[in-house]
Amino acid sequence: MKKEDTVKLISAEGFEFVIDKEAAMVSQTIRNMLTSPGSFAEREHGEVTFPEISTTILEKICQYFYWSLQYASLHWHETNLIMIKESRFTYSSSLALASKSRGKETDFHIEPELTLELMMAANYLHT
Amino acid sequence: MGGACSRKRGQVDNEDGLHGGVSGRYHKSCSSKWLMTSFSRPPLDIQRGEGKCPSLMELCAHKICEDIDKYSTFSMLPRDISQQIFNELVYSQRLTEISLQAFRDCALQDLYLGEYPEVNDKWMDVIASQGSSLLCVDLSGSDVTDSGLIHLKDCTNLQSLNFNYCDRISDHGLEQISGLSNLTSLSFRRNDAITACGMSAFAGLVNLVKLDLERCTRIQGGLVHLQGLTKLESLNIKWCNCITDYDMKPLSGLTNLKSLQISCSKVTDIGITYLRGLQKLTLLNLEGCPVTAACLESLSVLGALLYLNLNRCQLSDDGCEKFSKLGSLKVLNLGFNDITDACLVHLKGLTNLESLNLDSCGIGDAGLVNLTGLCHLKCLELSDTQVESSGLRHLSGLVNLESVNLSFTGVSDGGLRRLAGLSSLKSLNLDVRQITDAGLAALTSLTGLTHLDLFGARITDSGTAYLRNFKNLRSLEICGGGLTDAGVKHIKDLSSLSLLNLSQNCNLSDKTLELISGLTGLVSLNVSNSRITSAGLRHLKPLKNLRSLTLESCKVTANDIKRLQSIDLPNLVSFRPE
Repeated sequence: MKKEDTVKLISAEGFEFVIDKEAAMVSQTIRNMLTSPGSFAEREHGEVTFPEISTTILEKICQYFYWSLQYASLHWHETNLIMIKESRFTYSSSLALASKSRGKETDFHIEPELTLELMMAANYLHT
Repeated sequence: MGGACSRKRGQVDNEDGLHGGVSGRYHKSCSSKWLMTSFSRPPLDIQRGEGKCPSLMELCAHKICEDIDKYSTFSMLPRDISQQIFNELVYSQRLTEISLQAFRDCALQDLYLGEYPEVNDKWMDVIASQGSSLLCVDLSGSDVTDSGLIHLKDCTNLQSLNFNYCDRISDHGLEQISGLSNLTSLSFRRNDAITACGMSAFAGLVNLVKLDLERCTRIQGGLVHLQGLTKLESLNIKWCNCITDYDMKPLSGLTNLKSLQISCSKVTDIGITYLRGLQKLTLLNLEGCPVTAACLESLSVLGALLYLNLNRCQLSDDGCEKFSKLGSLKVLNLGFNDITDACLVHLKGLTNLESLNLDSCGIGDAGLVNLTGLCHLKCLELSDTQVESSGLRHLSGLVNLESVNLSFTGVSDGGLRRLAGLSSLKSLNLDVRQITDAGLAALTSLTGLTHLDLFGARITDSGTAYLRNFKNLRSLEICGGGLTDAGVKHIKDLSSLSLLNLSQNCNLSDKTLELISGLTGLVSLNVSNSRITSAGLRHLKPLKNLRSLTLESCKVTANDIKRLQSIDLPNLVSFRPE
């Protein structure tokens, strides 16, 4: 993983999460910070500090970013699988794959005790 | 058979739609950002199915709603978040009197609870606790009473209140809201308890822009309290049949009025004279009022008038020359009046007209020559007139026409080629017994058609071959009795269809259902009076969007359909036999 493809998100407690830039860009707020012109330190160093987001919540948010990317790609896969089905190519195995990809990993689990705090952070991050 | 089964559609009073507004369940006057993101979006699971990733905000709101009993208060949350949770709860129908308690003092702005189940006075305490933050409240269809309205007294920033169909609110309730002078929109549709006396409460609502008292049957004499409401732009007193000429007088000074709906009242030509000063009036709905062409004298000075509805009034040719002065009109409804070709002469100069309704008027081919210059016409209603084939030549040049209704006229196959060049046409009603396959053959150039009604026309299997040209058809009705399964083969590829009516074709069999099983966009299907049997129902399983299914006089029982509904067609809400 090249350094320029990653960003560092820092929680209130100083905990650092290094994640793919692509994942972080799921958040409209982070995307703006990293891409908009101007003298954003964030843009220079690929580093964003969130003094009001706790480590637990920031971790959850990072999980969501990846879930969101995976969600998009799963749907892309499903479209492709349908195409494969139509060309009568490995019909049964693609069907199995499709049903697997629809399984429980497509649900994003949220612990009830985190929900309110997570929602406030999501609101801030525009995600 | 078939001709006897032809039917006339009910006249729909559609003034609400003239401004292009959505008349949906939660249609409100004040706009709110979340209205776009919450109510108008499909439920979360459907959204997932469509492949759009739910936002983390949506997932959290959804999660909170699932565990709503675990939360005792949201008052520590920023307002936009608690508002989103509230909206999600309403949307998912999980909000109850108990879960509402968590929203006490949340400074919410919008509480859209129109038609929400079990809302009553006990909800008002929490609703009112939003205090000065509260801007819009819709409690339409609730059991809220006069004493419930007392709570709103202190919500002095309220801008919009809807209490439609709240039959437990009376004059006393109005008294409670009389001090809410920031109100711009107020609605109390269908209320039999409000009288002139209670309407005195409106006098202080000096910022009111929109007032809706549709179907309030006892408000006669009460409009005098509106005299000082000079900001009023829209007044709806449709179906208040107590309203008389006397009630028009207080409206004469409301010069900011843009929209006035007094249909189905007792207002006559005399009452209309009071409206002469309303120079900003763009919409006037007089449907069903006992006015004659003499009222045109008063209306001719209303230079801003765009929409005029005189459907089912008492107009005759006498006095119709005044129509020529209404040159700004875009929409004119003259249906069901005793007017003839002599009246149409005076419409010649109304070149801004986009919609003209002459339903059931005494007009014929000769009169249509006066429409040839109305080149902006998009919609022309000639149903139940004496128009015949030779009159259609006058329509050939009206190339902007999008919708033409020729049902129950004397037109026959020979005249239809005159419509072939109307390339903008989207909707065509040819529910006419004389029309046959030959007529349809003349229309194959109309490839933009989305709605084609051939209900009573005598279309046979060979005629259906022409339907292949109408790839965009969303609704199709062919009920003349001449179709067999062979004809349905040409319908099965019209993949845009959402409404299909093939009833009265008594030779259609289960094969028809098999043929149309690929039309997965179908929302409504009618194959009544045919040889369909319960064995054929299995072919309908792929039609997951089906909401209405009618199979009267077939070998199908209500239980057969219910079984299909419970296992395969969960969206089916209306079916016959039932």
